[in-house]
Amino acid sequence: MADMSWHSDSGGGDDSAVLDMDQIEPGQISRDYDRDHQDDFGSTYASEKRGNSGTQGSKSFAEDMRQRVGENVTQMMWQAGAQSAKRAWNVYGNIDLLRPYFDVEPKEVQSRLLYSLIPLRPTDTRQEVPKELYGPSMVVLTLIALLLYQMKTADHRVEEGTLIGSAFAVCFMYWLGSSGLVWFVAYVCEVRIAILQILSMMGYALFGHCIVLFMGTVFHTGHDHMFFYLLWAIIGGLSTLKMAGIIMSRTRGPKQRLFVTGTIAVLHMFFLLYLHFAYNTFVQEISDALHDNLVPAPVSVNLNIEVPSNDVQAAT
Amino acid sequence: MVIIVVLVVVLVVVATAAAGGGEGVAAVTVLAVTMAVLNPLKSADHTIMQDTDLAGPLVFCMAFGGSLLLSGKLHFGYIYGIGLVGCLAMYCLLNLMSLSGVSAGIIVSVLGYCLLPMVFLSFSAVLLSLKGIVGIVLVVVTVLWCSVSASKLFVSALAMDSQQLLVAYPCTLVYGVFALLTVF
Repeated sequence: MADMSWHSDSGGGDDSAVLDMDQIEPGQISRDYDRDHQDDFGSTYASEKRGNSGTQGSKSFAEDMRQRVGENVTQMMWQAGAQSAKRAWNVYGNIDLLRPYFDVEPKEVQSRLLYSLIPLRPTDTRQEVPKELYGPSMVVLTLIALLLYQMKTADHRVEEGTLIGSAFAVCFMYWLGSSGLVWFVAYVCEVRIAILQILSMMGYALFGHCIVLFMGTVFHTGHDHMFFYLLWAIIGGLSTLKMAGIIMSRTRGPKQRLFVTGTIAVLHMFFLLYLHFAYNTFVQEISDALHDNLVPAPVSVNLNIEVPSNDVQAAT
Repeated sequence: MVIIVVLVVVLVVVATAAAGGGEGVAAVTVLAVTMAVLNPLKSADHTIMQDTDLAGPLVFCMAFGGSLLLSGKLHFGYIYGIGLVGCLAMYCLLNLMSLSGVSAGIIVSVLGYCLLPMVFLSFSAVLLSLKGIVGIVLVVVTVLWCSVSASKLFVSALAMDSQQLLVAYPCTLVYGVFALLTVF
């Protein structure tokens, strides 16, 4: 016969896991639970709330359980969120993704800078556009430095912010913003070009802007802007034609070609005009000052001379 | 010229003391890097930047700000801001270009040490105007001196000998902005 001695034990033995419900008093389970699970302050939450009623004891037990479950769920959600954020950062914030686009030799950068001003006749063969970001980044940073020099020379003042902050914002917003706009237009017109190629193409095209700004600042010609307009047309035009040739070799349809190249031309040429006239006021002011010194302004002279009367002449 | 040499010696001594002059290794490091910066045409040892310290760069930055103060320009905030942005840009660029990666300490240390010629330029700005032909020549020479020194230290530490020109150009831009701070 099986040993039933365990059955005869009264419920409530400290080490026994078997409970005889006939022996258990009402509320004893909750009391035992609270005794075993006191909080850090040495008092039980449930015991403070509970009176002699067993129903109130079970309610406190339920609230306690709810609180603990809530804490555990909050902790689990926090850990899951942190892990997701870390995973997303490793995927999208990892700058190693850009590493292949900075693998370039000095001679390659030099040739690409030079060829950005040499347009090629568009043919059915696609013109090559490198997927590179070192050269365009350096060109944009050079443009920022030249703009800063121009602003310092022109004593340009910024009300809120700094000159270098303004230069950074203008140049990077143009490069990224115009590349995004051209990419959208290219997508609509079915141009076979990638966003990185557009960034590279627009970035290298700013080399012409750097040349024009540098020469315009060093050789400012007073009130006459003809020298700047000449550089704007020649150098700005060459870099625009280069980009137009690239786009036309990758687009089918005359209307699509016209639309995309027109967009690029407007953005490129007007940005150079903006850079010159917005931050080059020194040229205008010094020319006005020089003009006044060389050709003084005419002064009005009153020619109504009063002739002394005869009485005065008689007296003398 | 004698005054400038004396000032350089004082700066190096202060930097050495700040680095813990009692420790021979730190003093040797500061002196070695400073001499490497002062002689840009001499090749640098690739182990020279293994022990990076920020005491020397800090002293040179304070000296730069102090020399600008002599010209009536209070630009400590600009030095800090431009230095921070420049270090961040160089950190991103060199991590993208080098195979082994580079720590921020090396970037700050190299760019800070190579600011020494700019300190000379700002002291000379107290004595003469930098907006004339002589000033332009001095500025160009100083910027090239700083960038060649910095690129030499970077390529020796990161084994990027074939790309020294690519490393030197962004350094030129950073020190060019510091030069604008000195001139205007």
